[in-house]
Amino acid sequence: MKDDHGPSGMKPWLHGRKPGDRRIRVERPHAEYFRYSEPGTLVARESASAPRTATGRAVEKVRYTLFGRRLSIDEDVNERLSKKKALAIFSSDAISSSAYATEEILRVLVLAGAAALLVSIPIAIAIALLLAVVSISYRQEIFAYPSGGGDYAVARANLPGIFALIVAGALLIDYVMTVAVSTSSAVEQVISAVPDLEVWRVPIAAVAILLIMLGNLRGLRESGNIFAIPTYVFVASTLFMIVVGIFRILVLGEGQPPPEPLPGAHDPMEVLGILLVLRAFASGSVALTGVEAIANGVPAFQPPESRNAAKTLTVMALLLGVLFVGLTIVADGFGIVPVDEPAVKTVISQVAATIFGNDTIAFYFYQAFTAMILFLAANTSFNAFPRLAAILARDGYMPRQFSFRGDRLAFTSGIVILAIAAITVIAAFGGVVTALIPLYAVGVFAAFTIGQVGLVRHWLRERTPGWRKKLSINAFGATLTFLVFVVVLVAKAPTSLLIAVVVPLMILVMVFIHRQYEASARHLAVRPDYVVPPPRREERVIVPIPGINRAVIQAINVGRSIAPDVRAVLISDEPEEAAALRARWERQIPDVPLVIVESPYRALVGPMLSYLHVLDETWPEDREAPVTFVVIPEYVARNWWERLLYNQSANRLRRALIGRPHTVVVNVPYRREGDVDGDHPEPPAPASS
Amino acid sequence: MPESGQIVPFRKAVLCLNGGPTDDLIVHLGCQLAKPGNAELVAVHVIEVDWRHELSEEMTSQNDAASAVLDRAEGIAERYKIKLSGDLLQAREVAAALVDEAIELDADAILIGLPYRTRFGGDFALGPTVPYVFQNAPCQVIVLREPVPSSGERRDTRAEAVPPKGRFGFR
Repeated sequence: MKDDHGPSGMKPWLHGRKPGDRRIRVERPHAEYFRYSEPGTLVARESASAPRTATGRAVEKVRYTLFGRRLSIDEDVNERLSKKKALAIFSSDAISSSAYATEEILRVLVLAGAAALLVSIPIAIAIALLLAVVSISYRQEIFAYPSGGGDYAVARANLPGIFALIVAGALLIDYVMTVAVSTSSAVEQVISAVPDLEVWRVPIAAVAILLIMLGNLRGLRESGNIFAIPTYVFVASTLFMIVVGIFRILVLGEGQPPPEPLPGAHDPMEVLGILLVLRAFASGSVALTGVEAIANGVPAFQPPESRNAAKTLTVMALLLGVLFVGLTIVADGFGIVPVDEPAVKTVISQVAATIFGNDTIAFYFYQAFTAMILFLAANTSFNAFPRLAAILARDGYMPRQFSFRGDRLAFTSGIVILAIAAITVIAAFGGVVTALIPLYAVGVFAAFTIGQVGLVRHWLRERTPGWRKKLSINAFGATLTFLVFVVVLVAKAPTSLLIAVVVPLMILVMVFIHRQYEASARHLAVRPDYVVPPPRREERVIVPIPGINRAVIQAINVGRSIAPDVRAVLISDEPEEAAALRARWERQIPDVPLVIVESPYRALVGPMLSYLHVLDETWPEDREAPVTFVVIPEYVARNWWERLLYNQSANRLRRALIGRPHTVVVNVPYRREGDVDGDHPEPPAPASS
Repeated sequence: MPESGQIVPFRKAVLCLNGGPTDDLIVHLGCQLAKPGNAELVAVHVIEVDWRHELSEEMTSQNDAASAVLDRAEGIAERYKIKLSGDLLQAREVAAALVDEAIELDADAILIGLPYRTRFGGDFALGPTVPYVFQNAPCQVIVLREPVPSSGERRDTRAEAVPPKGRFGFR
């Protein structure tokens, strides 16, 4: 096939196989970057977002390596989950809390000695009953709000706005604490297996969070397969451990009496009072964290969504209850208490060592899967926090960038902020789970309570069939969770009170942001019935110049295209040079007046601003103030080091002018295109502005 | 066909589009066939220039409509995550241009749509393009005939593909 040119000489002819068969390829200039989805509507291709400079391409390569290729909005995967997969995904947070909830009870009770440890079982059962009540309440929420959204959506729909903000603040903190506690606990499981890593506790946790963050920035989804294996292996092996443990305790009589009190502990009978029991209960109630996850994600279930979600919630609550109470019974039966010296040995790791044998492969596998489910629990917050932040941003309570999705369809800002917050919390508390727990449960129970109260209002308003029964359940749930909230707040004071300070602060910030957005929206709003007339204000152009050069001439020409009233202004501290420039200016650019402002104090920006001020002052009062265009000539730097050499004065002037009333700043970049003949009278058209 | 029994129809195929009712069918079929082997597709639209005009003459209104057809094909392919490029040609003979373009692109398949047309309401009319491609294309040719429409059901998407004048930013 040979090409030649048609008669017009514009389009190349392509010859076919047979004589006379010719065709012409028609150019479609938009096709490289866009396609039309309908007349007047363009869809940008990936190439439209591709960087066009060498530096940009280098940065893009690094981004590609770290985060993968850009994803189109069409590639957003909305996986509909079966009950089995949903159980794995939504339960990892709740079920994983059984890995540390028992330990937190024992850590309180052990202070009161051996006798006190026996109280751990009734406390665990009480928490399991609380779990049952909360789960039943959430079943109601699943059916009442099948579109998901959780307690924030319920509060927003049914209660005054402040309650929704309380829920939002509490949940955001809860998600941060889920990451911090789950990761710290996972690291403790690792240290329990490999004690030498004790000194690296915080760095390991930080690296783990950064890796999870990176995975989420790459667009890691809550894929059922990723979650299923660790979750089900953990659940199955823990159930096995509990069954074997109870068999050995009850049938084989291998149980051991609880050990002696820790050094420095008070007399058990003296200390074991109601406060200690309440503190143990408050510590153990962290087991309930994550129970709300299924109610938040109802739309992700396969149809019938609500029924499947409700069934999954029931199974999750049963599993969590059995694991939590079972582990507490086994730990109690074998007299296991938490060990912190020389390296941490978690209760669950000691149970595993007792059942599987210390230093066995089964033990290490179990520890690995326990750590894995805890890391997955942390990962669930990396999905929930950014989503809630995005909803809040869309509602105008958080900065809008939280609602923007990055190249990989992830809510980048939310993910990064969550990681930073969680690492900060871990570093502040040394990565010790027990130190973090008092901060954890407070927010969760606040959200539980407000969500249930919101549902009570919902049933009162809707009065659907059976509403009285449903209302009673939610009212009972609200009362109970409120009592637990108070218990946790008081029993875990003073650390828990930190939340009582942080949540109101967050609400204040959210209200402030909301008011700012509302004010700007009111200010920017255009009435729908307003027909925009042509501009009526007069316009004038000021071109600050350093002398006569191609960039200046280009800026003058741009100014002429804006308005006929154009004047050049030279701020000079050299009167003789200025006079010489005036002579040259009047010869070369005679139709544009030049104003010379002598600046004996050598300032540039100040005299220019003052000159503009004087111009405004001298404008006739009976005429509307004109729009002043300040057209700044700029030389486009070709290298990074050229940026240091040029445009510093222009940059200062631009910064000073931004925000000035009735003033528009126009940058006119002059791009050097290879070597040019200095005698060309007319510079090329501006590259961009 | 490979011994494994799996069909690998082509590595590069030309989809012949004309703004007619078979366009979407052709693109969908092409994408489905291209998907397993990650094959490349080139959607070709040929504007027939009659002898009253120079071959190189700018056929603005027809180009806009044809470009819209190619854009639509590209949109469908994007959903399949298949690489599809659009090729807009002007020629005296559509069929010859299609075959020549397929040869130049080194395509190993041509997918062409065949509308169900009858001559004066009587016999089925094959038209001139498909027989020419059958006779002259060196590669395999897949013809997709549109389903026989029931009376009154027939619609011509060419009318929908023509964009209103003056609303396109670039054209």
